[in-house]
Formats: sequence, C-alpha cells, structure tokens
Amino acid sequence: MDFRLGEKELALKEEIRKFAEAELPPDLMRNTVIDGEFRDFEFEISMSRKLAQRGWLVMSWPEKYGGRGASLLEQTVYEMEIAYWGIPGAWMGISGIQWVGPCLMMFGTEEQRDKYLPLIASGGKDGVWCTGYSEPNAGSDFASIRTRAVRDRDDYIINGQKVWTSAAHRARWCWLAVRTNPNAAKKHQGISIFIVDMKSPGVTVNPILNYYGRHHFNEVFFDNVRVPASNLVGEENKGWYYLMQSLAFERRSIAPTTYGSLNRILEDLAEYAAQTEYEGQPLSKNPLVRAKLADLAIDLEVLKMFAFQLAWRITQGQIPVYESSRNKIMGDDLMRRGAITGAEILGIYSQADPDSEWAKLNGAVQGAYLGFPGQAIAAGTAEIEKSIIGQFRLGLPKSY
Amino acid sequence: MDFSFTEEQDMLRISARDFLAKECPKAKVREMTEDERGYDVQMWHSMAELGWMGLVFPEEYGGMAASLMDLVILMEEMGRNILPGPFFSTIALCALPLLEYGNSEQKTKFLPQIAKGEAIWTFALAESSGRYEASEIKLRAVLGGTNYVLEGHKLFVTDAHVADYVLVVGRTGDGERLEDGITLFIVDARGSNVKMEAIPTIGGDRQFKVSFDGVTVPEDNILGKIGEGWDIVDFILQRAAVLKCAEMSGACQAVLDMTSSYAKERIQFDRPIGSFQAIQHKLADMLIDVEAVQYLLYQAAWGISVGVPSPWQISAAKAKVNEAYQRICIEAIGAHGAIGYTMDHDVGLYYRRVKVAQFVAGDTDWHREVIAVGLGL
Repeated sequence: MDFRLGEKELALKEEIRKFAEAELPPDLMRNTVIDGEFRDFEFEISMSRKLAQRGWLVMSWPEKYGGRGASLLEQTVYEMEIAYWGIPGAWMGISGIQWVGPCLMMFGTEEQRDKYLPLIASGGKDGVWCTGYSEPNAGSDFASIRTRAVRDRDDYIINGQKVWTSAAHRARWCWLAVRTNPNAAKKHQGISIFIVDMKSPGVTVNPILNYYGRHHFNEVFFDNVRVPASNLVGEENKGWYYLMQSLAFERRSIAPTTYGSLNRILEDLAEYAAQTEYEGQPLSKNPLVRAKLADLAIDLEVLKMFAFQLAWRITQGQIPVYESSRNKIMGDDLMRRGAITGAEILGIYSQADPDSEWAKLNGAVQGAYLGFPGQAIAAGTAEIEKSIIGQFRLGLPKSY
Repeated sequence: MDFSFTEEQDMLRISARDFLAKECPKAKVREMTEDERGYDVQMWHSMAELGWMGLVFPEEYGGMAASLMDLVILMEEMGRNILPGPFFSTIALCALPLLEYGNSEQKTKFLPQIAKGEAIWTFALAESSGRYEASEIKLRAVLGGTNYVLEGHKLFVTDAHVADYVLVVGRTGDGERLEDGITLFIVDARGSNVKMEAIPTIGGDRQFKVSFDGVTVPEDNILGKIGEGWDIVDFILQRAAVLKCAEMSGACQAVLDMTSSYAKERIQFDRPIGSFQAIQHKLADMLIDVEAVQYLLYQAAWGISVGVPSPWQISAAKAKVNEAYQRICIEAIGAHGAIGYTMDHDVGLYYRRVKVAQFVAGDTDWHREVIAVGLGL
C-alpha cells in the first residue's frame, strides 16, 4: 500500500490554486450546489474555455480527443480542487465531460467521437450536453421509460417526454435514452441511446424551478423528432448496458467534488469559529463545536479515501461493482451533515439568503443546505444505491 | 497510490485466518473467559513458533523484520476471531516501545524472550480518573541510592495477572509542563510489593488494579530518559490506537459477515429476510462503516510503516472505529432478532468487547480533540 500523491498531483493542486486566485472574482458566490452551473452561463463558459486552454477540462481523455491522457488519480485531484475553489464551468452542463465523452470512447463510432469529443474538449457552448433519462413514470425504476424511437429508413423518429433534465436549456445536444423494442422479454432489453441535436424541430424545453426558484431542471418534449440513424450509440437495444456504465461514471465524481467543496466549508467554518466571540471566548473553544467539526473532518477523510480507492481500482483495469454506490451514499450523507452542522455553527445567520451581504462564507452553507436534497436524489437515491450494495456486493436477494 | 496488499501480506492474512479458525474457535473463546489465565498457553507457544510475537522485530532479536502494516494484517485476523490473551499488551503496548526506546542491553535481554513467547508484558498508565492526560499521572517514583521507589496505583491494567513485566508510567519530577517529569519503568510484575486486584469487565477479558507499595526499580530498568517519558507514552498510544483499531476492524468484518449470512438463511414471510430493504439497507450501511474503518486504518498504519506517522490520521481511524464497531454490533443484533441476544450466539461476544476496545488508547472524544486541534480549533 502507498497513500502518497505523486509529484504530478501535488503540482496540479498548486497550479489550480494559482489559477483560482488569478481568475475568480473574490466575492464569487460558492453556493453553486443549488444552481447547478447555469446562472451566469456566459461567465461559466468563459471559465470552461480557460480550463480547456490549460489542458484540464478533459485531462484524462486521450490527446487526439483534446485531453492529455492524465491518470484517473490526477483527474480525482483535479475534481477535488475545482470543487474546493468553487471554479465554475468545469462540468460543461454536467453530462458531456463526465459520461457522454467517456461512453462515446467506449461505445461510440469513430465518426461520433471525431465530431463530438473535440466540441466538449474545447469548452465552448456547442460542447454542452444534457441527459434525457428520467420520465414522469420512470424515476428510480429507470427501465420503465416509454419515450419511443422508431426506425424510418435512414432516420429514427422520437416521441415522448423527459423530466428533471439538468441544463437542457443550455445544452446543444442530448444524450437520450429511449425505448426501441417495446416487446422485449425484459424491460431493460429494449432500450437504446441516441444523440439528439437540441435544435431539431419538435424539441421543446420547459423550465422546472427548484424549491428555491433556481432553474436547473427542465422537462423536455420530443414530438416527431427526426434523428439520423448514425446518431444511435452502440447497438440498438443494448442501451441498458451503456446506461449503467454512464451512471457509474456519474457516481464516481460525486465523492471527489463533495470532498472538495465540503473540505472548503470545513476550513472556512473552523476559521469562522476562531474569529467569532461566544460567551466571552472564541466559538472554536466550545466543546460542542469542536466535536461537531472533528466528526465532519473524520468522515471527510473517509470520503477522500473512498474517492481515491475507486479511482485506483479503475486505473488497475478493474471494473468497480459497488464502490460508486458506496461513494455516492457517503458523499450525499456528508453533504447533508456538512450543511446542517455548518448551519448550526453559523447560527441565526444561516437563514440569510446566500446571495445577500448577510450571508457568511459567501453563502456556501446555505447553498449546501438548499442543494443537498437534490444532489442526493440525482444519479440514484440512497435507497437505490444501498440496494445495489446489498445485491451486488453482499450477494443478498434482489429486493425490488 | 496503491491500495493493494503484497502477495506476502495476503499470505500472512490467509495463514493467520486458517490458524485461528482451527485453534481458536468460539468455543475456545468462551472457555477462556472462564479460564484462570484467560488464554491458551499451548496456542501462545504455537503463535510464537509461527513468528507472530517477533513479527516486527529485527532478526537479531529473533524477529522477522516485518512492517507495522504486516502486524495490522495479523491483528485484524486476531480481532476477527476474538483471540483471547496478552498479545496486544505484550506486543502493541510494550514490545514496540522497547524496540524504539530501549537501550541495547534492554533490547538484547527482553526482545528475544518476547519473540520466543517466553515473556508476557503489560502497560500501566491510567489512574483513578481513567484518562490519558499527563496531569493524571500521580504515581510517584523517588530516587533512593541507585534505585527508584514506586508508590501509587494503576487501573485497568490488562492481563497483569499473567505478566512477567509491567511497563509503568510514573512521575519523577515536575516541570513547566505537566508532560515534564514523567518516566517509564520496567517493573518485575511478580515483585512482592506489586499487588493486583481484578476489575471485572463486561468484555470477559482480564483487567486489574495494580498497586505499587514501595516497589524498588533499579535505574537500569528505566525505559528512555528520566523525565522525558511522555514522548514514549505518546508513541505507545499512537501505535496502540492503530493496532487496537486493527483488531476492531477485523471484528467489524466478522460481524458484518455473520449478519449477511444470517440474512440469506433466515426465512420469514416465506423469504430470506435479506430480501427486505429494511435489512438490506442496514447491511449496506454496515459495509460502508467496515470499509471506512479499513481505509482509515491502512492509511494510518502506512504512515507509520514508512516513517511518517500522522497523529491526525491515527486519531481519525480510532475515533471512527470506536463508533463504527459499536454501531455495527448494535445493528447486527437487531438484524438477528432475539437469537442475537443470547449467550449461545457469537454476536454478543463482539458486542461486549466493544466497550473494552473503545477505551484502549483513547476513546472517541479524546481522538476528536486531536482532530479538532489539527483543524486549528
């Protein structure tokens, strides 16, 4: 065993720190958890481009697709640091960098790779993707999707509705899961993935505001949308396998990003406690505050180890079975605890609007408080993730 | 980074697991709670022959020159099986500081005996408050000629009744800091003025109040430097925290395994209870706890193995395992139902030992405080 970071990773941390100090406005709101990344889209895309110019945006991709073949450990450090500094624009609408690109590299055609990967890698608006998975009647029971794609000569014609589609209002492309065989013996055997141009006739995007009035989600309607057959990803009716892979990619990055943003919140809370008077002494001397922050720090250390262990396993060429689920549960649970503990320490100020001048720590704690319930649902609820661990790691009978 | 064990380490784990499964079944564990000595002498000698006692000693002292990480692996297996006896007190609490701080005469005299399984040691630190702060050390050691005379008592001294030597933390002076003036003495446990009184515990192990009523200790039997013993106490507590964490980690895994098996076998409502999400999600939570403990443990042990021990990482591991082990046992008993509450079932053996293990080398609050200081609080 060896738990040292390499020189590359340590140097990268330092470079990102310098980048953040040079490029970020000092009063940057770090409450992005509630927004996703889409409030100040022009600013975010400008940051995406800068990250791309640095060779960071898709660092673990091969050079021919705009990356630099960085190891997944380096990628993990990058994700932790991006989140620590709250650098916006790193995810390009969430989907493209994290799973569309990697999935196209595994299952796409050479044409698809050549066309779409450089667009993502360059950090421009045409590289922004959304992902069409959930439907009104297919949430956790994802295999029940009904959006249909029917072959029509060289095209497919798509009809149906998606919901909770993050960034659809910013996206140029949609990574879309549809039903191609409604008569398959099992529900998950009739599913395929398509790449859909969001500018296609028949695509309608309606905003869904979250409970804090922020626009992250959308519902997307497909009304006789014509998609060339060359936009089918992999084989027809094999989509379920690609989807599971995409979800594993998505779940993997939750631990590093949660670690980064919470580690920053923890450090800021420790500093806040040291500078805040309470009953004649610094709040940091209060035993309850010390115990709460120590507990958070211990489990953050766990999350860090989980994040690196998963990345390490993948670099060994092993296919993770349950680790992404484990990390997602741990990350979501910690985000919840960080938000609640943070709010307890900020006290009455924790109710101040995160954007207002009254908010402490640039609104990071309120952002976490308002955002964590949503993050905990995305890419699989704790209940779904625990069932995955039960079934695939512990060998228990299927429970649903 | 590398999260894998070496082939030799995997072998060590397998051979330890096989040995203990054969030699130390739960019937033996139960028998030993009733036994006067509390451990199986025959098994103790077999362990010495396998090289376990001297695992981390250099070859010149009869050891195998293995790393602390190797010892962690061995002790995970001991914890998994609940090996009763004075291995922890002899090796973790005494042999490691002897190796680090002993002079060459002391090492030549004591370490080969330990490696051969011929000497049992224990460590006497806590006094009436039961806490691990230097301010709590009241046992006085006064110089008279070339000998020190010890006067005072120690509590919760594990396996003292079978020990040949006790490593005793005493106060030889007072300095600016409370940590100044602390000295460690190697005391003959069978000396006439050393008195023992059993402290029965819920864990079924053996702990004692040990009184030192004018016990004479020659200067040669001071470990390290006079008055500078608190550094050695720190050293011991750090290693002991990691190695107790290893035992507890193995125990956590064992409890998860037995509960997971039971959930697959136990039928209610015409199906295995493991098919119910209420049970399955409990088990998933237990697995996350188990793995959290493992990685914090391996990180802390690795730091020590490569010569950069991190008190922060050590405290994170022990604080985590203190809570996780307890939680896992409680959830496991719940998942088993009433059978888990019986004398006949193994899960209770683990649950009872939680309370003992939690206080070895620092309870959760003690380690949280180390973490808090590390956060700059």
